[in-house]
Amino acid sequence: MTLLDFARGPAIEVAMVVFVFGVIWRLAWLLFLPHAQDRSKAKITGGALLSGTVGSFVRHMWPAKEYAARTLVHTVASYTFHIGLAVIVFGFGQHIQFIRSITGLHWGGLPTAVISAVSVITLAALLFMLLRRLTNPVLKVISTFTDYWSWFVTTLPVVTGLAAVSHLWIRYEDLLGIHILSVCLFLVSFPFGKLMHAFLVFVTRTQTGMFYSRRGAHV
Amino acid sequence: MHDAGPFENVRTGLARAVEQEILQHLEALARDGSEAAIDLRGLPMSEADREELDGALGRGEVRATLSAMGESEVWETRFNGVWWVRHKGTDGQVIAEQVEITLLPEILKTDPADARAAAVRMREHIALRDPDRD
Amino acid sequence: MDDWVMEQGTVGEALARQGVSRRSLLKYGSYLATLMALPPTAGRAIAQSLAGAKRQSVIWLSFQECTGCIESLTRSFSPSVEEMIFNLISLDYQETLQAAAGEAAEKARLDAMAANKGKYVVVVDGSVSTRDGGIYSCAAGKTNLEVLKETAKDALAILSVGTCSSFGGIPHAHPNPTGAVPVSDIVTDKPVINVSGCPPVPEVIAGTVAYLVTFGKLPPLDRLGRPKPFFGDSIHDRCYRRPFYDKGLFAKSFDDEGARNGWCLYECGCKGPVTYNACATTKWNGGTSFPIQSGHGCLGCSEPNFWDMGGFYKTLPQPTHHHGRDIGAAAAVGAIAGAGTAVLARQRRQKAIEEEGKTK
Ligand code: SF4
Repeated sequence: MTLLDFARGPAIEVAMVVFVFGVIWRLAWLLFLPHAQDRSKAKITGGALLSGTVGSFVRHMWPAKEYAARTLVHTVASYTFHIGLAVIVFGFGQHIQFIRSITGLHWGGLPTAVISAVSVITLAALLFMLLRRLTNPVLKVISTFTDYWSWFVTTLPVVTGLAAVSHLWIRYEDLLGIHILSVCLFLVSFPFGKLMHAFLVFVTRTQTGMFYSRRGAHV
Repeated sequence: MHDAGPFENVRTGLARAVEQEILQHLEALARDGSEAAIDLRGLPMSEADREELDGALGRGEVRATLSAMGESEVWETRFNGVWWVRHKGTDGQVIAEQVEITLLPEILKTDPADARAAAVRMREHIALRDPDRD
Repeated sequence: MDDWVMEQGTVGEALARQGVSRRSLLKYGSYLATLMALPPTAGRAIAQSLAGAKRQSVIWLSFQECTGCIESLTRSFSPSVEEMIFNLISLDYQETLQAAAGEAAEKARLDAMAANKGKYVVVVDGSVSTRDGGIYSCAAGKTNLEVLKETAKDALAILSVGTCSSFGGIPHAHPNPTGAVPVSDIVTDKPVINVSGCPPVPEVIAGTVAYLVTFGKLPPLDRLGRPKPFFGDSIHDRCYRRPFYDKGLFAKSFDDEGARNGWCLYECGCKGPVTYNACATTKWNGGTSFPIQSGHGCLGCSEPNFWDMGGFYKTLPQPTHHHGRDIGAAAAVGAIAGAGTAVLARQRRQKAIEEEGKTK
């Protein structure tokens, strides 16, 4: 069995099983967890509560005025790599085929050159994030292993993917095999660390938004 | 030729590059007699490229056809010392094609081994025809 | 006057006997040089060394195969060129081509082995059955496994012709009922050259033999034991549709606009990027065409396990296994586990509350 056979076969299969199990496990756990009853008197309900919650969610997508200037570069870099990743994952023809073979869903892809350009920009943004984490005194202190690990398993597929598309360094079958394995690493890491924020951000931000809106607080 | 898609009709610009290479080899041949050859089938040249090169080199004074395991065509281009050698199989397909920069392509010369074998053949031939001689 | 008489058993002598001139040999040398991507001036050197080379004794063994490989070689399009290889070798045993049959045939093999001990080359097409002692493929009362071991013992080198003998091929495909293995699994103490392909390109078989005879040594081999002069580049590296791949222009199905425009077949399942062979340069049927030129993706037939790569139309990034059931199961187990974890948390909380009540 070659590296590529292993990657396309058992490795990706196990990785996807672990990924799906982990994600559902954590979401179900959260859903069924006992919730403390909110004893405060609801200031708003119904449609108003909903729009308050959504408003809070949207407002939290950009830092508050007081911090905006100071964190601007960081915010822009974060958005850059998040959007970049989404474009790469959902815009590249070969990824669409991967998704299609699992879900049956498919759509038109973007030209390879666009994807390559986006990948380079994404990589630059990711590198910036790492450098910032390593140099900013506060960030450095609060960073733990899982922060670096999350960065690593996110960046690795971008690097190996770029190499595979450009046929860099070694044979294509090995590049593709390594790329798929790097994605496997990402998938198995995903549910059990900070990467899970990709799902949980919706849960937590909604919860916070609802909590304060109910009290009539505008956050 | 089966339809090769658009490629065979496309000029890739390789003809010009090969022309330059030939010039350098020709200058070397003129200088010190060193020979060289360029394989036209090993390069990713299209049919159109080869035609372009053929047109640029033109045809010169010598033209030869060989019958050895299928036909071969050899001609000197209008640049003396630059020869075009095209080998075909028995089915007429081109099996090798090269530009040789030389005073005389090897394939045109008689090989000493063939000459020796021919000498024997000729002696036998004469002996058979004129049994009484010597 | 006798000094020029050619040495018995040399290629030059064999050719002279047939009235083939040295010019033909030179022409063949040029052809081989082109084929092996050697500098064109190498043609002369090849011709010279071929003329003086001993004809190579070859014993050809056919095991679990379909005869496609020998068909590929003997029906090749440029017979006069490919037939040259029969001047380079002395084919001492080949079941399909030889006139002898039965005991006489077996004797021919044993005689050739004895006469050229340590110097003959064994060509094998077909994989070797190993299950239950290899009884699934026998000839003359002997299993292929026995014959291979016996013949390989005193061989100079083994040439595995075709994907079956090189990598197991179709007999080796899942579930491999005969326990088929490649020759290199059995013969481990002799050099084994793999000329893979289903079938291999005839020029590549002939070229490899010519290389052996010309240079008197093994060609440089890639990591799968294949001669680099022919298997050095992937189909994708030499594919004329490559510019479309690079531009991201793909045919999505065999009858869409992209297919009609001759765009890249990657998304139709082409295995060209992971397949190493000479098809894109040598082509088939005398340089007429090759699969991609005819509009179909490469199947990857010169690679190990090409039959089990998840399907000819499955693209390279797509997983080879079917996931639906496993993923569904994972989701169900995840949901149960999640609920279970939450229930445990509830119980812990309940207990804590009760205990707090007691202490109060
Ligand atoms: S058709 Fe196949 S081999 Fe040719 S460029 Fe496309 S993927 Fe590569």
